[in-house]
Amino acid sequence: MKHSDFDIIVVGGGHAGVEAALAIARMGKTSALLTMDKTKLALMSCNPAIGGLGKSHIVKEIDALGGVMGQAIDATGIQFRKLNLSRGPAVWATRAQADRIGYNKFICDFVAAQSKVTVIEATAGDILTEQGRVSGIRTEDGQTILAPAVIICSGTFLGGLIHIGDKQIPSGRRGEKGAYKLSQSFRSLGFEVGRLKTGTPPRLDGKTIDYSKCEAQPGLEPPPFFSYRSKPREIKQVPCHLTYTTVATKEIILANLKKSAMFSGQIHSRGPRYCPSIEDKIYRFSDKPRQHIFLEPEGNGTDEIYPNGFSTSLPADVQHDAIRTVIGLENVEMTQAGYAIEYDYCPSYQIKPSLETHRLPGLFLAGQINGTSGYEEAAGLGLIAGINAVLYLQNEPAFIPNRAESYLGVMLDDLVSHSTTEPYRMFTSRAEYRLRLREDNARDRMIEYARRYSLIPEDDYRSFEVLQKQTRAAIAMLEKKYIAVSQLDGYAEYFVKRQSISLADILKIPGVEYKYIAKFLDNGDRIDNEILERASVAIKYSGYISKQEREVEKFRRSESQKIPADLPFEKLTGLRNEAREKFARFRPTSLGQASRIEGVTVGDIAALSIHVRKFTAQRS
Amino acid sequence: MDSHTQDYCRETIAAIITPPGEGGLGAIRIAGPDSAKILNSLFKPAHDPESIAGYFILRYGYIIDSHGDTVDEVTAVMMPAGRSYTGQEQAEIFCHGGQFVLKRILKEIIDRGARLAEPGEFTRRAFLAGRIDLTKAEAVADMVAAKTAFAYESAKNNLMGLFSEKINSLREQVIDILAEIEASVDYPEEDIETADRDEMIAKIGNIISLVGELAASYRSGRIIKEGFRIAVAGRPNAGKSSLFNALLNQSRAIVAPVPGTTRDYLTEWIDLEGIAVSLTDTAGLRESQGVIEKSGQDAARQIMKDSNLIIWIADASRKNFASEIEIDLKKLEGLCPVKVILNKIDKLSLKRLKAAKMIARGYSAVVISCKTREGLDNLRSKLVSLVSGSLPDLTDGLVVTSERHKQKLDLALESLKQAESDFKQNQSPEIIAFNLRQSINEIDEISGRIYNEEILDRIFEKFCIGK
Repeated sequence: MKHSDFDIIVVGGGHAGVEAALAIARMGKTSALLTMDKTKLALMSCNPAIGGLGKSHIVKEIDALGGVMGQAIDATGIQFRKLNLSRGPAVWATRAQADRIGYNKFICDFVAAQSKVTVIEATAGDILTEQGRVSGIRTEDGQTILAPAVIICSGTFLGGLIHIGDKQIPSGRRGEKGAYKLSQSFRSLGFEVGRLKTGTPPRLDGKTIDYSKCEAQPGLEPPPFFSYRSKPREIKQVPCHLTYTTVATKEIILANLKKSAMFSGQIHSRGPRYCPSIEDKIYRFSDKPRQHIFLEPEGNGTDEIYPNGFSTSLPADVQHDAIRTVIGLENVEMTQAGYAIEYDYCPSYQIKPSLETHRLPGLFLAGQINGTSGYEEAAGLGLIAGINAVLYLQNEPAFIPNRAESYLGVMLDDLVSHSTTEPYRMFTSRAEYRLRLREDNARDRMIEYARRYSLIPEDDYRSFEVLQKQTRAAIAMLEKKYIAVSQLDGYAEYFVKRQSISLADILKIPGVEYKYIAKFLDNGDRIDNEILERASVAIKYSGYISKQEREVEKFRRSESQKIPADLPFEKLTGLRNEAREKFARFRPTSLGQASRIEGVTVGDIAALSIHVRKFTAQRS
Repeated sequence: MDSHTQDYCRETIAAIITPPGEGGLGAIRIAGPDSAKILNSLFKPAHDPESIAGYFILRYGYIIDSHGDTVDEVTAVMMPAGRSYTGQEQAEIFCHGGQFVLKRILKEIIDRGARLAEPGEFTRRAFLAGRIDLTKAEAVADMVAAKTAFAYESAKNNLMGLFSEKINSLREQVIDILAEIEASVDYPEEDIETADRDEMIAKIGNIISLVGELAASYRSGRIIKEGFRIAVAGRPNAGKSSLFNALLNQSRAIVAPVPGTTRDYLTEWIDLEGIAVSLTDTAGLRESQGVIEKSGQDAARQIMKDSNLIIWIADASRKNFASEIEIDLKKLEGLCPVKVILNKIDKLSLKRLKAAKMIARGYSAVVISCKTREGLDNLRSKLVSLVSGSLPDLTDGLVVTSERHKQKLDLALESLKQAESDFKQNQSPEIIAFNLRQSINEIDEISGRIYNEEILDRIFEKFCIGK
C-alpha cells in the first residue's frame, strides 16, 4: 500500500461534503475537502431556508449525531417558525430563514477551526483506483491526492448545464463552472450516469417591492431553535411576505410557454414534481385562478429577495414581464434570472445502504449525486457517508439506521430500494412509523449511535442521560397523579363515568398540551418545562406506538433476514424475469429491503428467501 | 417458509390432474424448468417425428418408456414460462383415462427427474410466479372443493377476481382520503384545496359500511363454504333418529365439504337445493346411562352451539308436551335459532291433534309423523326456505368465505371506525392518517400485496403543489 496523504478525500464543499468532513474529524480521522472555491462552503444555492416538513426532522437527527447544520442555522437564522402546530407533535416542523451569507461564513469558520479538515481548492477530475479499490483523486490540474476512501458530493456541478429560455450555459451553480471530467471518470469506471433537473426562481431587489400589498408572515417568539446545543436568546426576526400571481401572469406565461426550456423540449430530464416551475404549475392547473408566492429575505445585510414559488426556465425578458404581474411586484427589478439546471447523478441502485458503491469499494456517494434534493437531505447523507467511510477504514460494520428509528433510515432505504425518477425529497408521509419519528425525540433515537461512534462529547451524552432519566420519572409521576374530574374545565365530557383521572390520561385528549396540566402540579411535583413537555409527548403517543409495535417487530424481523452480498442475483432460477432483474439491479441486503423494491410480489420474496437459505447452507 | 415452496426454483413437479377412477381421458401436468426436456424424452409424435415441439400446439403421438415400448397413444402440449398456469415451463399429457396407464406414464416422468407434486403445489407456484394474487389462489382451492351450486358460484366470483377487485377498490378509496390528509400534513404552506371535513367523514362512513357488509357476509360465506349445520335434538324417545333418517332419505347425500368435521356421533351431509347441509343426530349421547351421561350432555350442547339451526323434536303424544317444550326452549336460549317439530301425530285423536296444532302455531312448529311420513314434505320445504334465507343472492353480491379474510376485514373495520371517530373529535391528522394506514395494511394482507409509494403519487396527481 502506497503512502496516503489523508485518511479520506471528500469531493465537494456543499452541505453534504461539509457534514462528511466534520463527521470524519469528530471520529478522529483526517480529510481533504476538495472545493472549487473555499469561500463558498455550504452555500445556499436555492432558497435561503433550512427545515420544513420532514426536513427539520433530518436536521434534528443530524444535530443529535453531532452535525453542524442545526448550529449553523440557529446562529445565522433571521426568522424561525414552527409549521403544522395544529396538526400534532409528530408532524410539527421547524423552519428558518437564513442569512445566506452569514450561514456560509459560519460554516467556513467552523471548518477552518477543525484542524483535521484540510480544505483544498481544486476540481476533482479522475477517481483513482488500485487493485479494484478506490485509491485517491487526480484533480483537473493534474495533482494526485491519495486516500483509501473517497466521498463524492458533487451537487449540481457534475456535468451541470444551466437553461434560461433557449440559452444553455455549462455551469455548476449560479455562474460557477461545473465538473465535467469527473463525470467522464464515473462513466469509464462503469457507473450508470443519469440526468436530473432542478430549477430556481429569479432573485429580486427588495427595495423595489411594494410590501403594503402583501401579507406579512412574522416569525415565532421565542424563536424555536434546531440544535440541542443552542441556548435561548433573543434575535431580531425579519418577516416573510405572501403574495399572489394574477390573471396577467397566467396570460404571459401561457403565451410564452414554448420559450421555456422545459416546454421547448430542450430539457429531457425529470424535475421534481413537488417543486414544479411556475410555467408547469400554471399549465397543469390552469383552472386555478392564482398561485401563491412567498417573498423570502436572503439576509440581514442585503435587499435581495427569493420569490419562493416562481422557479422558471423562461427567457430572462419573459421572467421580467411575468414577475411584474405578481401583486406588489409591479415595479420590481430582478437581480438575477431564474434558471433550470441539469446535472449528472448516479442512479442510487449503485450504492449500498452505507452509501458505498457496489462497484468500487471505498468510494462513497452523498447528496444530489444519489438523486436527492435539498440541503437537509444532502447534509444527512454526507454525515452518514462520513461515518461509514471511517468505519470502512477501520473494517467495522457500517452505520445503517433503519426506517423504524429515523428519517435518515427512511431516506437510505428509499434510495437503495427505488429507482429515482425525480429528485428525492423527504416528506413525513414517506415514514410509515411516523408517530415514532418526531423532532422532539430525535436525540432519544440517535443518542446511542452518537456515543458509539464518538460523534458527540461524552459530557453531552451524560447530561442527556440525566434528562432521559428525569423524563421517565416525570412520566411515572403523571401516571400516578390523579385529580378530580370536576376540576377539568372543558374536558370533563371525556370522562363522564369517572370521578378522578390521572394527568397522563388527560394528556391523551386531542389538543391537550403540557401547559394545560402544569397547573395541576403541586410545588413538590413541579418539574422543568422541557422535561414536562418531553414526558407529555411521550405519553400522548404511547398508545399508538404500542399499537404499531407488532408491525415494527415484523419489520425488524424481515430486516434481520440478511442476504449475502455475493448471492448471484443474476443467476437465480425460478424467479419472474422482472423480479430477477430488479434484485440484480438493487442487490438488496435483507429480505425486508427486497420486499420494498417496486414491482416485487410476495411470491418473489418467497422464492428469493429459498435461494438465500440454500446459498447460505451450501457455503457453511 | 413451508416445505412446499422449498424447491420452487429448481425442481420440476408432476401429478395426475384428473380425478381417480376411470374416465374417457386422463391428464398429467408437468411444471418446472425441465418440463420440455422430460416431455421430449418420452413423447414421440406420430407425424413428422423429427419436428420440434411448438408452444401451445396440441400434438398427437405416443408415450415410449425407457425400454422403447409404447405405453399409450396420447396428445401433448407445451407451454412456455410466463404463459402457463404455474407461470413456469409446463407440459400436459392427455392419455386414456385409466388409473393404471396414468400411473405408468407418471412413473416414466418421475424416473426422468420430476418429483411428485404436493397437493395444491401447481396453484402455489402460480401465486409465487405472480400470476394470481392470494384471494385468487384461495379461490382455486374453493373451486376444486365446491360440492354445491352456491359454493361453486362463490368460488367462481372470487376466481374471476370479483373479490380482489372489490378489495382493491376499497383500498383505493382509503388511499384517496389518506392522500388528502397527507397533502395537508406535508404541505401546510400550500393553498391546496382538500375535501372538507364533513365530506371526508362521509367518505370514511361509506367505506366503513362497505367493509362492514363484506365482513358480515362471512356469516353466509361460512355456510356456503363449510355448509349449513343442523343439530337434531330433543328429549329421549321423541324420534330424533327416525327424523334424522327420514330427512336423509329425502335428499342426495354428499361428502363433507370441509375435512375434520366428522365426530363420534352420527353426522351426514345432504345437498339441500344447492346448499351443503349437515345433519347431526344428538341421539345416543343423552340417552346413554352412567358416567358418560354428563359429558354426553355437554357434547350435545356444544354441537347445538356450533350449529346454524337446532331442530328440536318433541313427542306430541305426551300429555304435558307443551310445558316440556316451554322448559326445553328456555335451556336452549342463546345457542342458535330453534325450529320446533311435533312428532308422532299419528298417535293423536282428532281432538288432541287439533289442540297440538294450536300449540304448534304458537311456536311456528311443524307437525309430522315420522312413522306415516305425514308432514315430512312440508318440513323439507320449511327447511329449504330457512337455509336459503340465510344466504344472499350471489348474483348481486360478494360473499367472504375465508376466515382469514374475515379477520383482516374486522381489523380494517376497527381502524376505519377509529379514524372516523377521531375525525369527529377533531383529532390531529397524523393520528387519523395512522389509523387509515393501519386499515390499508390489513387490506393489503388480504391480497398479499406490498405497500408502496402510491400515496405520494396520488398527492401529486391531485394537487397543485410545490414551491
